[in-house]
Amino acid sequence: MIITVNGETQTWEGAELTVADLLMRNKVDKPEMVSVQINGNFVDKKDYDSKKVTANDEVDFLYFVGGGKAS
Amino acid sequence: MKGFSSRAIHSGSMKKDAHGALRMPLYENVAFEFENARAIQFAFEGRSLGHSYTRISNPTVEDLEQRVRLLTDARGVVAVSSGMAAITEVVLVLAEAGANIISHKYLFGNTYSLFEHTLKPWGLAVNYLDLTETQSLEKAINEKTRAIFLESITNPQLQVLDIERIAKVAAAANIPVVLDGTVTTPYLFRSRDFGVAIEVLSSTKYMSGGATTVGGLIIDNGNQDWGKCPRLQQAAQKYGPYALLAHLRREVHRNLGACMAPHNAYQQSLGLETLALRIDRSCENTLAVARFLTERREVKTVNYPGLEASPYHRLAKDQFGGKFGGILTFTLTDQKECFKFIDSLALVRRATNINDNKTLILHPASTIFCEYTEEEKKALGVPSNMLRLAVGIEDLDDIIDDLKQGLEAL
Repeated sequence: MIITVNGETQTWEGAELTVADLLMRNKVDKPEMVSVQINGNFVDKKDYDSKKVTANDEVDFLYFVGGGKAS
Repeated sequence: MKGFSSRAIHSGSMKKDAHGALRMPLYENVAFEFENARAIQFAFEGRSLGHSYTRISNPTVEDLEQRVRLLTDARGVVAVSSGMAAITEVVLVLAEAGANIISHKYLFGNTYSLFEHTLKPWGLAVNYLDLTETQSLEKAINEKTRAIFLESITNPQLQVLDIERIAKVAAAANIPVVLDGTVTTPYLFRSRDFGVAIEVLSSTKYMSGGATTVGGLIIDNGNQDWGKCPRLQQAAQKYGPYALLAHLRREVHRNLGACMAPHNAYQQSLGLETLALRIDRSCENTLAVARFLTERREVKTVNYPGLEASPYHRLAKDQFGGKFGGILTFTLTDQKECFKFIDSLALVRRATNINDNKTLILHPASTIFCEYTEEEKKALGVPSNMLRLAVGIEDLDDIIDDLKQGLEAL
């Protein structure tokens, strides 16, 4: 299965992949603080274990802590 | 962990420290270096948990934000430079020139000044209502209304509103309720459970550990559909439920520069750990002092929601879990007598703050409200013979002994 994660193509073989699996495989920093968008729609945190990622999905991990342009 | 103090002490956002530090260290720096250009790009885009510049975010400040978020079960928290900065940022996110907000008629003096003197010239209208009843609120809401603003216990009038009732009226019109919870903090009042969309606090007060540092907090309780708020509709299309936080982080908070200093965040994280202990003591002392003052012939009236005679006692008891805060007011004969009493005190300090560890006294009419006319003071519920006592956590007998000698000197 080929998906796009944070703008980069990733290929995952085997069983179905949940959002929680994807966070773990990408070694996402502080997963409890990340927000996940699939094809532009936010996934509720309580659904991370059940929401499936499917082929050609565009997944974004977003944090609302840091970020933004500085001087 | 369920208990407030356990969570306040053990929660946080700390990564494994290089030296195994048990407490988030103080990152008192400005810029952060990245391993490569891609990593900087991701941090700027919010795709990685990276800090780039302390005006926007900082690990020590973030630790405080995450502790408060976990304590309140909120969607997110933004720490700012003061309680006034918190109110300013929220109003600038929610409203625009030509729009209006509805506010309870009693407000902290500087908040009233912000609305009337600072924001009004930029085109914001503020409609002051008596929110002790909600009929006028229903009538006052119109297509230009962007928020309903109130305080959990008004300062210094000490009025308590039925917050859940107001929130229901607001929810029916998709208007967010913005609550200043400074004097209650999330320990006494879980604003999320009562329908409040955004809680703002001056963390300078109780939370800082006894007036150690100045700070403010913006708490997005996560119960408002920001897509139905005109100013956030565009952000909601992009950031969904995170529209308020994203708009703060990526525009208003970043551009105003009213960031919390890392040193202040460090002090306030320490304060958060003992918050419940100090509030419990402060509330116990305040109730005892209120009862003492009620018995004194020199005192004309005592205003404290913890007194059963208060018209707000039952409501405050239900909303704030049987505790009533650390502020009371009382009246003497006139301003001259108030001044004489203040000047005779030895332990109680003459200072303009509340929820310090020290007991503080102030004459509101001649200080916080000094810029207002007599008519405005009357409308704001600040008579010239009223004193505000913010009761600290000293030994009760010492506080009462000082007040007693002050009254006997009149």
